[in-house]
Amino acid sequence: MSNVLKCEHLRVVFGGLAAVSDFNIEVEENQIAGLIGPNGAGKTTVFNLLTGVYTPTSGVVTLCDKDLAGMSTIQRSHAGIARTFQNIRLFKDMSVIDNVINSFNYRMKYTIPEAMLRLPRYWKEEKAARERALELLGVFNMQDLAEVNAGNLPYGAQRRLEIVRALATNPKLLLLDEPAAGMNPAETTALMETIGKIRDNFHIAILLIEHDMSLVMGICEQITVLNFGEVIAQGTPEQIQNNPVVIEAYLGKDRD
Amino acid sequence: MEKKFKIAMPVRYGINFALIVLGWVIFTVLFSTGALNDYWKGIVVNIGVNIILATSLNIACGYLGQLPLGHAGFMAVGAYTGAIYIKATPAYDLLRAGNTTAIIPYVIVAIILAALVSGIFGLLIGIPALRLKGDYLAIITLGFGEIIRIVITNIDSVLGFKFTYGASGLARIPKFSSFNLMYIMTVISLFLIHVFMKSRHGRAVLSIRDNEIAAESVGINTTFYKTTAFVFSAMLAGVAGCLYAGTLGSLYPATFKFMKSIEILVMVVLGGMGSMLGSVIAAIVLTGLPELLRSFSDYRMVLYSLALVLMMIFRPKGLMGTYDFSLNKSIENIVNKIRGKKAAKADKEVQE
Repeated sequence: MSNVLKCEHLRVVFGGLAAVSDFNIEVEENQIAGLIGPNGAGKTTVFNLLTGVYTPTSGVVTLCDKDLAGMSTIQRSHAGIARTFQNIRLFKDMSVIDNVINSFNYRMKYTIPEAMLRLPRYWKEEKAARERALELLGVFNMQDLAEVNAGNLPYGAQRRLEIVRALATNPKLLLLDEPAAGMNPAETTALMETIGKIRDNFHIAILLIEHDMSLVMGICEQITVLNFGEVIAQGTPEQIQNNPVVIEAYLGKDRD
Repeated sequence: MEKKFKIAMPVRYGINFALIVLGWVIFTVLFSTGALNDYWKGIVVNIGVNIILATSLNIACGYLGQLPLGHAGFMAVGAYTGAIYIKATPAYDLLRAGNTTAIIPYVIVAIILAALVSGIFGLLIGIPALRLKGDYLAIITLGFGEIIRIVITNIDSVLGFKFTYGASGLARIPKFSSFNLMYIMTVISLFLIHVFMKSRHGRAVLSIRDNEIAAESVGINTTFYKTTAFVFSAMLAGVAGCLYAGTLGSLYPATFKFMKSIEILVMVVLGGMGSMLGSVIAAIVLTGLPELLRSFSDYRMVLYSLALVLMMIFRPKGLMGTYDFSLNKSIENIVNKIRGKKAAKADKEVQE
């Protein structure tokens, strides 16, 4: 199976600080990979490098063997990278379904004059988009909330909607930035099921940042540990749990 | 669950079209019976200009979420473009001879030219200005608006050809803005804004307002849509300007001062940013109110300010907030509610 995401020697320097130095990862299709590390380790910086918010100082990012160098956030989204945010960034004053349909924008082709004259292509594409959006919301049991304003949703549903919105761009790689932040254990369990469902239904690669170890150890097949911008360990959940370097990074070293 | 009541698309357009015709008939009857005299007719036409101005600014302000303060500049560009063109045609003499139908093609060309030229100015100003946000965008657009006014004041003659007549003003413009033209143009403007906003393009604009970073992350070309919305807003302001020139018959650069932009902005804010109906109501109220308060002319500005202050205290999000009224949706909701009650009643009877 080929790699969906491949990072080689990724490095970014802000002033004198190497926020990420020599980051390597390979994520395959249908695989869930986790990125963990203490606060300030550079996890979100890695996401920002992948989505083109920051330009790497050096290193290569490839998506399905395509080099992403020099591409903007928008172009990377078109190429197949979708993400959610640590602090929820929904379109609050739009309805749930409009939040999702907005992600189809790039794949809908009707032009502004066509929209203004309401030509057939407008009706056809709008209808198809609506159906597809309802179908997607249905996968996550949100079809009844379609007409609700996104800002009025309960917290858990907002997090889910962010994931649906990201999936609606038809990505090859989905980046989840702390999806379980602020959730109680029951909600986290539901989220784990949701993430599993995404992998089974959409056949995409998932890379997630998470502090909730039960979630990371429960669903990730491959874990990368970052500390001070450096990869200190990489492997299966079992290997990571027993790795002394990781334990030291999280808990500190014994005095003697 | 039973299927929800929904009005079919052609019927929706039919209902709206019927309402538009009804509105026109009511006004025409009021004018012909003399219930509204010529003075009020003038005010109604003015209200039309202000509705187009307010709703066009609402695109950039309410839908796109930016704060441009140079709207009067685009209005000036449209006004002068339309006026200079129509002065070069025989429209003035035709109108004096009472031949109102013969000037229609000239008026249409004038309006289209006004929209195009203001659109070009909107593009030229929008590309650099939209790289900024918030206060910075406000200040740079304010500057551009003033530049346009000062340029108009100073290019009274270009290469010996009389152009804008500078500060002394452009006079003898045919007064082509009749009530009918105003009504049609207002409806067309509102319709264009509506169909633009209810499309993938409109959704993209709204998503940029709500969260630009997230909009980029789902592949929305933010630069393109910001510029498009800004240009669209400028074009409609140009149309309003052209119609304004046709109501007054003369143009002075001093009309398009900074305070004019603020006046339009007040309408948008009062109506509620992001609500087209709000902008329309605010434009009607803020154009009509000063006329109604004319008998208290000494206190007019006090009452006007008081109305605004009270507004900001009790409805800080504007009259309508971001709510947009749709008659068809309201009918659907009422019918669904009645049906729901009937269904509940039937259920109860069955249980009993």
